[in-house]
Formats: sequence, structure tokens, C-alpha cells
Amino acid sequence: MSSTPVVTTPTNRSAHFYESLSGWLFISPLLTGFCLFFVGPLVAIFVYSLTEWNILSQQSSFVGLENYRDILFENPEFWEVLRNSLVFAAGLVPLNVALALVLALALNRAFHGVIVFRTLFFAPVVTAGAAWAIVWTFLLQKESGGINQMLALVGIDGPNWLRQPDWAMVSVIVTRVLKNVGLNMILYLAALQTIPRDYAEAATLDGAGRWHIFRHLTWPMLAPTTLVISIVTVVGSLKVFDHIYLMTGGGPENATLVLAYYIYERAFEFFEVGYASALAVVLFFVTLGLTLAQWLMKKESN
Amino acid sequence: MIMRLIKTTTVALGLGLAISSHSQAEDLRFTVWTGSAAHLGMLNEFADGFRETHPDVNVQFETIPFGDYIQKLTLQIGGGNPPDLGWMLEGAAPTFIESNVLQDVGPTLTANTEYQLDDFADSAMGLWYKDDALYGVPFSTSPFVVFYNADLFEEAGLDNPSELAARGDWTWETLRESAVQLADASNGQYGFESMDGQGYDSRVWDTLVPLIRAYGGDVWEGDTCTLDSPEAVQAVELYHDMIFADQSAVPPGEMGDFFNGQSALTYTQISRASKLDDADFDWGIAPMPSGPAGASPIIGQAAIVVFKGSPNAELATEFLAYMTSQIGVERMAEYFPPARTSVLASTAFLNSNPRLNEAMMTVVGEQIEHGRVLPAHERLPMIKSATRGTLDRLWLPDVDVAEVLGDACRRIEREL
Repeated sequence: MSSTPVVTTPTNRSAHFYESLSGWLFISPLLTGFCLFFVGPLVAIFVYSLTEWNILSQQSSFVGLENYRDILFENPEFWEVLRNSLVFAAGLVPLNVALALVLALALNRAFHGVIVFRTLFFAPVVTAGAAWAIVWTFLLQKESGGINQMLALVGIDGPNWLRQPDWAMVSVIVTRVLKNVGLNMILYLAALQTIPRDYAEAATLDGAGRWHIFRHLTWPMLAPTTLVISIVTVVGSLKVFDHIYLMTGGGPENATLVLAYYIYERAFEFFEVGYASALAVVLFFVTLGLTLAQWLMKKESN
Repeated sequence: MIMRLIKTTTVALGLGLAISSHSQAEDLRFTVWTGSAAHLGMLNEFADGFRETHPDVNVQFETIPFGDYIQKLTLQIGGGNPPDLGWMLEGAAPTFIESNVLQDVGPTLTANTEYQLDDFADSAMGLWYKDDALYGVPFSTSPFVVFYNADLFEEAGLDNPSELAARGDWTWETLRESAVQLADASNGQYGFESMDGQGYDSRVWDTLVPLIRAYGGDVWEGDTCTLDSPEAVQAVELYHDMIFADQSAVPPGEMGDFFNGQSALTYTQISRASKLDDADFDWGIAPMPSGPAGASPIIGQAAIVVFKGSPNAELATEFLAYMTSQIGVERMAEYFPPARTSVLASTAFLNSNPRLNEAMMTVVGEQIEHGRVLPAHERLPMIKSATRGTLDRLWLPDVDVAEVLGDACRRIEREL
């Protein structure tokens, strides 16, 4: 295919029109897909959330905001589940971001085997999530689990990780962090490598120590990356489902019952699609709120 | 060039539509959750056999993985595109019946005199009748049985469960005594494992119900929860003691797979016998242990149902009748334990499962004939969800079993 560049001038209206038309035509396949498979369902969820709809018996009626009223004021379980989701996010996000940064800083140097280490930490990201979760349920057994057997070597009697409510939450958070930290590590590594070395050299000449360089040079220059990473990680942590489903099934004593799991249960075990949609909308706004909050905090600190 | 491509595509699409709409009239779509080549081979034999009397009818079996089955089926029904027939699990049956999406197949089957609907064991049919309408015919009635590691019993010089059962001494108490003697917790060797290692979580009811019924209790009767009755408390305490006092049962958070030789005893459905093909130990099966209230066999069930939204419901019902006729049930008995009493009593049944000898099959037959299904309710998913957190507390070392069961009962009654 050969093409000649189209010369446009702002005054040439018809050329401008054709240019923008061809632009729209070029993006129309994506746009169609986006509207059909993303905007459509999104709008549909909002509409469903105003109904009481049992998908199995096909009975549906418009109930207005009744589902939301029930969720927010009548359903104590919702607050418990929301709290679990926030605890999960509050545990996972700082741990994930901090660990990713430490790993990236440690592996942003040239030494023998650096590729091996980078690969090692990235490998869980490309591992199947289900396999990861199931292997960990074996490792976290009380008596015959690998973790407790290692702890026993140093004289520690490990807990029953997945059967004690507090430890179960810790277990799902840590195993989830280990699964995904590699991705954030790579993002940080990429960002670190865009920082010109001259800056650090100049700072060193001025007598700055390594901590000062990190605190006043590297960390501020990583800020845009940190923002992206924390937003993506918060969103991901609120959507967590498969990991919980496979490792604890929401237990013990509902300690790891998070919003996404609760929505699944309402929709596909109770068949209450209207109610589940309303929960999904609430999750949407919680996620949106947290994302905006991060955005604004960043703006403030700039 | 482009125009030609468009033309060809249009013609191809048109042809495709014409072909599919032509064949749709005589296609029956049948959803199953098995992907096993052996099972599907047998099912396709039925499709071929049916074509002898209905040359235009093509039955297509469609596998949906077990874990997604109910969800996908629900979405197909919700989307206005139900299959014509399908397998249905016992736990989901009341919800589907209550939602009015299943076809009443009673009139067709009763009208067919050769079919002999009353040949099906009464205990096996309870779940599928509602107000005299029949919403499914069980094709697999799989009893819970005790599997035991015969080598371990022999090494320890103990009477095995079959011998105890023959003497009438096979009770939860003797099961407990055997388990204590066969367990060696420090070596990861357990006496007893409950229900495929999921007995504390997703299958906690499968752990509790057989015990409680053997002690004369049940989970609910009508609208009253009876899970906190003295009989039920006594039964659950026995199991709690096996875990924590005796340390003979596989504890929560631990795996002690019977099929790998890590536990001496377990109970589960008979179909798990296929997991023992490569076992390096001798094994046997015995009836479920009895309790103070006598024997209390339990069955799990799956049925064939016809969906109400099917445009070919009448034809689909005929195919259901064909599959569950006496000959059909005999054929399926190789994989699926039957509910027809005539088949249960036949020598064909005793020889139908290559993994089980006649004595074992006799045990299976007895358990089927007298077995009851697990508690069923159209709000079962809600009941399970409401009690999940509470029942988890049963599996802590120092717990007041009566208090936990009382709490669970309050939650169950809200759903009943």
C-alpha cells in the first residue's frame, strides 16, 4: 500500500472534514467493540441495579433505589464484607508497592546474575493464578505444610494459616503480593532506568549520601510511576476474586469474604442479579473514590 | 477483489444460516458435566439408538465443566436459550423446580405402560416430585459408602469395617475406635478423612448430616431447625473429639488423602472408586456406620430433566424416557448407580462396575435402596451462605458445640 501525505490547512474545511472522518473510521472497530462490550454492560449494570431480577425464574420488577437502601442500611453483612475488602487493600497495596520498589532498587544494578533474579521475581506474574493459589494452600497447611515445617526448624510453632481468621487474611494478602509484585517491580525498574545518571553523579559531587539521593532525587522522580502503580494495585486489590475463592472460599468465619466474592455469590449462587448489580455499582464507586483520592493527594503534594 | 470477498462471505453466511435453521428443528441439545470420553461414548450410543425410531432426531451432548455448570445453565435459561435436556444436581433441584423452569415429565412417563415409572425406588424419587408433578428422573443415585485401607487394618490386627458390619458392630463408635488405633499423627498418618478433604469447607454438610442422622437428628424439619437438638450435638461432639481429643481425624487446614494412603478410613460417593485404580494398597467398602438411631444411608443424586423453554419439550421427554427405560438404566449402571429396583436386584447390576466385586455391589445396592438425599431446600444456597461463618467455628479446639449449633440454627430459621 502506498499513500501520499494529505496536506491540510486549517482553512480547508472539506479536507479537515475528511481527515476527521477517516480518523473516526480508523478507530471505529475499536470504538464499536468498546461500546458493545464495555459501555453497554456498564450501563446495563446500572439499569439492572434498579430492578429485583431473578435470572433463573425470569421474574423482574423495577424497584428504584430499593437495592441500594437495603445494601447500605439493612444489610450488616455488606459492611463486614466492605471492611474485609478495605483491609485486604490496605494490607496489600503498601506491601506490594514497597516490596516492588525495594526489589527494583536492588536489581537496578549491573551484577552477575541480575537477569536471573529479575526473572525469578517476575515468574509468578506469568504463572497461572489458580495454580499459584492451590500450591500455597498446600504450603500453608498446619502440620505438613512447607512453611510451618521450615518454621519448626527454628523452633516456631506456626499457626493454622488458612483456618484462623486473622492469619487467613494475612496469608491471602502476602501470597497475592508475591504473585503480583514482579509486575510493579518491572514498572519501577523501567522508570529507574529513565533517570539520567548525571543527576546522581552531580548530587554525589555535592556531597549527598545514598539516602539523600534516594529521598530527594530518585523518589520524587519516581512519583508518576508510583501513582500509576498504586492506582492499578488498589483497583486490582478491590477486584480480587479467584485467589480468595481458591484459597479460603471467603472463610474462616467470613474473615476473607471480600466484595467481589460476595457479588459472585449473590449473582451466581442466589441468582439475584439486580441486587448483585447494585453491589457491583457500589464497588465501582468505592474504587472510583479511592482512585480519585489518590489522584488528588498526589496533586496536593505537587 | 474486495467485492468478490464480500459476495462469497454473504453466500457462505446465508448457507450456514440455512443449514443451521434447517437442522435446528430436529436437534436436541443435552447439557452434561462429564467430559470423560467413556461417558460421552456411552451417551452417544443412546443418541444413535434413539435415531432408530426417530431417524430425523440428532441428540447433541454438550459438556459444561462441573464447577460452572449451574451458573452457565442459569445464564442460558436467563438468556432465553435453554438446552432441551440436561443433567441436574440434587442441590440445585429445588431452586430450579421452584423457579418453574423444568418440564413436568410425569404425564408422559405414566402414560407409557412399558416404562414402569413405579419401578424407581421411592426414596430415590422424593426430590423430583412436587405437588404430584415430576420434574426429573434420577440417572445416577450414588450412595455414600465407607472406603477403608484393608492393608492398614490387617497390619494392626483389627477387624475391618466389612467384618464389623457383618457382625452388626459397625457404628460411629467403632469407627472412632478403629481410627484411634490406626492414626499416627506425628507421621502424617490419619485414621479418618471426611468427604474428599473438603469436609470442613465447601462440603461441611456432607460431614455433618450422615453423623447427625445416625444419631437420630436432622438439620431441619419443616420450618424448624433441629441442628441444635441434643442428638445432633452429641453426634457433632463425637466428631469434634475425633479431631482434637483423639487426633485421629484429619484436622482442618490439613490434607490427609485417603486415596494416597494417608488415611485409613473415609466415606465418600461410590464413584470415587475410580481414584483407586493405581492404589498400592488393598481396599474395601462398607456401609455407612450406624448410630443410636440405627443405620442412616445417604445418597447423592443427579437426574435428567427437560427444560420448559425447550421448543421440543415433548420430543425431549421421549428421549428422557428412552434413556431411563429399564434397558437404558442397565446400560448406564456401568458408570452411574441406578435407582430402578429391578436393575438393583439384577445380576447385571452386580457385575456392572468392573472395579467392584459382587459383595461390594451388594453394599452399594442396599445403600441406594434405603438411602436418603441430603437436606434439600429451594433456599439452600442462602442457608449455606448464612451458616458458613458460624459452622467454621465448630472446627476450633475449645468450642462449645451446642452454642455454635444453636447460633447456626437461628441463622437457618431466618432462611426457612
